[in-house]
Amino acid sequence: MLSLFRFSRPPSQIVDNADVDVTPVMNVFIILIPFLVSMAVFTHHAIVEFSLPPDLGTSVGDASEKPVPRLTVRIGTDYLGIVLGERMLDSLAVGPEFPFDTLSARIRMRVAELGYDDEVIVASRDNIPFKHVVRVMDLCRQAGFKKVGLSSATADPGAAL
Amino acid sequence: MSILPQKSAPNDDTVRPQLTSLVDVMTILLVFLIKSFSSEGSLVTPAADLVLPVSTSEETPRVRSSIEITKKAVICEGRVLAGTDSLLSGDSLLVPRVYEWMKVMRQRSSDSSGSELVIQCDREIQFAAVKKIMYTCSKAGFTDFLVLVVREE
Repeated sequence: MLSLFRFSRPPSQIVDNADVDVTPVMNVFIILIPFLVSMAVFTHHAIVEFSLPPDLGTSVGDASEKPVPRLTVRIGTDYLGIVLGERMLDSLAVGPEFPFDTLSARIRMRVAELGYDDEVIVASRDNIPFKHVVRVMDLCRQAGFKKVGLSSATADPGAAL
Repeated sequence: MSILPQKSAPNDDTVRPQLTSLVDVMTILLVFLIKSFSSEGSLVTPAADLVLPVSTSEETPRVRSSIEITKKAVICEGRVLAGTDSLLSGDSLLVPRVYEWMKVMRQRSSDSSGSELVIQCDREIQFAAVKKIMYTCSKAGFTDFLVLVVREE
């Protein structure tokens, strides 16, 4: 009679006795892993583009053009502000931490309200760490602004930048 | 005849180490390394004592002229141009030594992409230092500025 099983023992016992030689696999791993470690990139870099305001750049616009009021996000250790031309739209007090989440919501709200998402100026006070400036530039870009300019903020938020 | 090698006799003194757990570790490691594998490599290498700011930007870095602002010094092409402390304490926006160096650098790359400058700045550096470097470089002929950041995952 033809049996389905070639072995006299049940299949479970045959599997228990199997001893796979993994040494060749280990050899492949030992060659492959140093190669992959050398080619791995653990930190991904990116770039953030920004423009300079006209007073810092080498090219100055036509003086006969009427200046267009621009939206400015002001960063200071005392408060964060959203300014349109010379008019303060929002002011957020800075506590132990910078209120970036609230600022993000306010910027989005102003973009929707003004229907203006062309250009924004990020104006920072001199003593602000650069990481906060980059964070605010990110928030502006996430709010939909196509161009982000970088400038220095004055003590008076309404003053011309 | 069996395909699998015969098990050694019980009285055999040969010790065969169990490699199964090691293979498990290697497999996990292999998957992780394949995931972080990059055929391009890294186009830019920041200075060792530089901690870059984190950003959500996904724009890939370009190979351009660059200037590094570390906690100690302003460096360009491995040459220390100014100390960061002296940069912050000075009143003038124009930093003469940086201006001279960047002017030569700008003349060297006269094509359109040569007007782009990558600023590699430490995340804790005060904005005043960045402002002075930007002003000085814009006077030297650089018009487009790019900030190198670490991409937020």
